[in-house]
Amino acid sequence: MDDALLKESAPRITAIYEQCKADQPNFGVSEECFAASLQKTITKYVIGASSEPVTPQQINDFLDSVQAGDLFMSLACANGNERAWWEFDQQHRSYMERVARHLAKTEADAQEVIDTVYVELYGTRVVDGERISKFSTYSGRGSIRGWLRTVIWHSLVDLHRAGHDELSLDEMTETIGEGATHASFAEQPSDGEAEMVETITRERYRNATVSAIANAFASLEDHEKLLLLYYHVENLKLREIARLVENEASPLRGWFQRKTQTRDAGGRTHESTVMRWLEKSYARVLELFKSGLIKVHSFTETEIDQCVEIATQDLTAGNLFAGLKSRQI
Amino acid sequence: MNPQETNIQGILAEYLNSRNPSNAPTGHLDQDTLAAFTEGTLTELQATPAVSHLVDCSYCRHITAELVRLDLEFAEEPVPARTRDAEPARISEVLSGVLAKIFGTSENAVFAHEDKDKKDEKDKDQIDEKKD
Repeated sequence: MDDALLKESAPRITAIYEQCKADQPNFGVSEECFAASLQKTITKYVIGASSEPVTPQQINDFLDSVQAGDLFMSLACANGNERAWWEFDQQHRSYMERVARHLAKTEADAQEVIDTVYVELYGTRVVDGERISKFSTYSGRGSIRGWLRTVIWHSLVDLHRAGHDELSLDEMTETIGEGATHASFAEQPSDGEAEMVETITRERYRNATVSAIANAFASLEDHEKLLLLYYHVENLKLREIARLVENEASPLRGWFQRKTQTRDAGGRTHESTVMRWLEKSYARVLELFKSGLIKVHSFTETEIDQCVEIATQDLTAGNLFAGLKSRQI
Repeated sequence: MNPQETNIQGILAEYLNSRNPSNAPTGHLDQDTLAAFTEGTLTELQATPAVSHLVDCSYCRHITAELVRLDLEFAEEPVPARTRDAEPARISEVLSGVLAKIFGTSENAVFAHEDKDKKDEKDKDQIDEKKD
């Protein structure tokens, strides 16, 4: 089935190849090499990513979205074509240097990263007599500049790790939950019976709130979860999230539009649109949160109000989710 | 937003920053996928597993967030085009210089394997000349 699909895509691949060859006749990329690269990507990321049978139309959609010129250049560079390397150097070196300088702490680090990336791109490892170039991992699904940004970012993390052996990868790249386990409890020890009852009640509401919010979040669709995580954990600003979905074909954008039953006029996604998506997600979390408390704990509306009120007070004291980091939710 | 939605926003934010996903993946997305996701060029078919992964993998999610910031920053300030060299510099020269800096090799050492055949031929010619 996969072979038949790939065979069916051959004429489209040939047409793309002919166009690339006409644009860059001196890159020396053979049609076999070009087709093999695209077929590998189709097999891995299109056919392999789907649990359902893939249609020829889906393959053609993928081929139409491929950055063919960038892929053609990267294959030529992987093969060691001088002309392609020169073009690559002319077109992208300045950009790479700027990205590296922006990310690195020092000019020396930036230069080291650029040098390392160039070496990786050329490839010094030889397997079965063939030099392995980093370019061979570029699929053409995004732009080559976007890919280079990612390669440089990783290279800088590696460089940083080399100087900080004691840090784990996660410690290096995130501070999720920092401080949560050290949060201090605001309430004072109680000594009266009434206070004890109140403490028990509060604890009951608190536990119910924690599990209800966890369940509400878990019930969201993945794109809604990711939006909330980008906004609240990664601290992406609205305009940064808008940038992420700027591409009209962006699946995230499509999912939110379908969810909110809206269609934009195309072009730029505005911050107000992202805000609306977030508000919809909050409304959904609240709905799920309430229904969870009713279903699992048989809470009344008044009790739900109390849960929210106590949780809001606890947030100020920083003790609502204390200890959550050590538990798996 | 009504007051309850505002409150739930705060509670949710705190929860998200404290949670410890039970199904945190062991592997990570490859660089090609991370780059394409950030540019919004993956098809729905390809994006579905990537989004699922990003929900649970703080490492990959953090990278994509950083890449978006970087992308936006650079989009607002276009990169000036590099002045084109009149003649293509041999990439082997550029790379030899880079490798020599990193590994401390001589400039020609890295590409010795490429030049080896030519050198062998030259040596052979010299031997033949001596023989003659």
